[in-house]
Amino acid sequence: MQRFRTTAAIAIGFVCLLAAGPAATADFRGGVLKPPKPATDLTLTTQDGKPFRLSTQQGKVVALWFGYTFCPDVCPTTLAELTRARQQLGKDADRLRIVFVTVDPERDTPARLRDYVKAFGGNFIAATGTPEQLAQARKAYGVVAEKHVVSGTAAAYLIDHSAFVYVVDRAGRLRLMFPFGMSVEDMVHDFKLLLD
Amino acid sequence: MHNRLPIVAIGIAALGITAMLAGTVLAQAQTIKATNAWARRAPATGGHDAMKMDKTMSGDKGTMGGDKSAMGSMSGDKGAMGSMSGDKGAMGEHGNGAVYVTLSNSGSQPDALVSASTDVAQTAELHQTTRDGGVMKMRPVKAIPVPAGGKTELKPGGYHIMLMGLKQDLKPGEKVAVTLKFEHGGETRIEAPVK
Repeated sequence: MQRFRTTAAIAIGFVCLLAAGPAATADFRGGVLKPPKPATDLTLTTQDGKPFRLSTQQGKVVALWFGYTFCPDVCPTTLAELTRARQQLGKDADRLRIVFVTVDPERDTPARLRDYVKAFGGNFIAATGTPEQLAQARKAYGVVAEKHVVSGTAAAYLIDHSAFVYVVDRAGRLRLMFPFGMSVEDMVHDFKLLLD
Repeated sequence: MHNRLPIVAIGIAALGITAMLAGTVLAQAQTIKATNAWARRAPATGGHDAMKMDKTMSGDKGTMGGDKSAMGSMSGDKGAMGSMSGDKGAMGEHGNGAVYVTLSNSGSQPDALVSASTDVAQTAELHQTTRDGGVMKMRPVKAIPVPAGGKTELKPGGYHIMLMGLKQDLKPGEKVAVTLKFEHGGETRIEAPVK
């Protein structure tokens, strides 16, 4: 099952890379999903304990990122870059919603998520949920998250996880996937296209 | 009493010369240069019991109010909180951070970063993130090699120094002091500005 998911995720990634080729799209710089598909709804809980539903965000562009606060490298890097991209949208910043979905509900309590959001300037939603809700969210977006107990570290466990940003357009359709390492400039470029 | 003074003087002079020589030898061995160091901003705490140990969070009770369930589940864990450093489970209650730096080796021998230490976290580990398809994996490494006459860049999505169990928030504008220890090149202290 896990292997299937990994394969599926890689396949999706590959399709996106193909679609992102210069011949396919001159416009977007991230991976483009063709055709766009309705973004599967998510029912989660924010860091403030409020319910969060993806379907109520229509009218805004949503950047979805799956990660965990224990992670010091890939997750904060992506969130910092998304936050910077959002700032660069200027007056349109409020039309982009950044949503961080934890893959580590065990450690990522709402209190911890609140501290995390605050440390990054407060301009995103950090969401958790029941194990079922989170599993459903990962499945819907082809996200892999594998827990590993690793020797040689003080960490009780580490989580290998997909590192794409999933971008949902204003009509609630999953349109783009940003690979890890995509520049802030390219993110801003794509967000602007979706907000125009 | 008086005739001891010259001996003491000679002793001090000898010590001084030894220290100077040692300094020269160390300087010769130091072929590693650390540049462009920076740290990622990060919160120190996980928002519950661990906060009681942290003065900087004392004014922050508001964030704890709504989270009674988490508090409750931690109540049996107070013993562990007291001896945080050795407790793997408790390590997850604090925030983590990362420090990045570029290491250049001007020597003719390969060298390697073998450890890092800092006062701002309970422990500092050398880690590497690798990409496997779209999946990122982070693992501890024993050493980060720096080739002879070359450089190794610690950067997001690759090698980094993971600060585990932060004792203070890493806030933009502040600096994190980290001591880097190399296999051959001795020790270097870096000041990494928080971004």
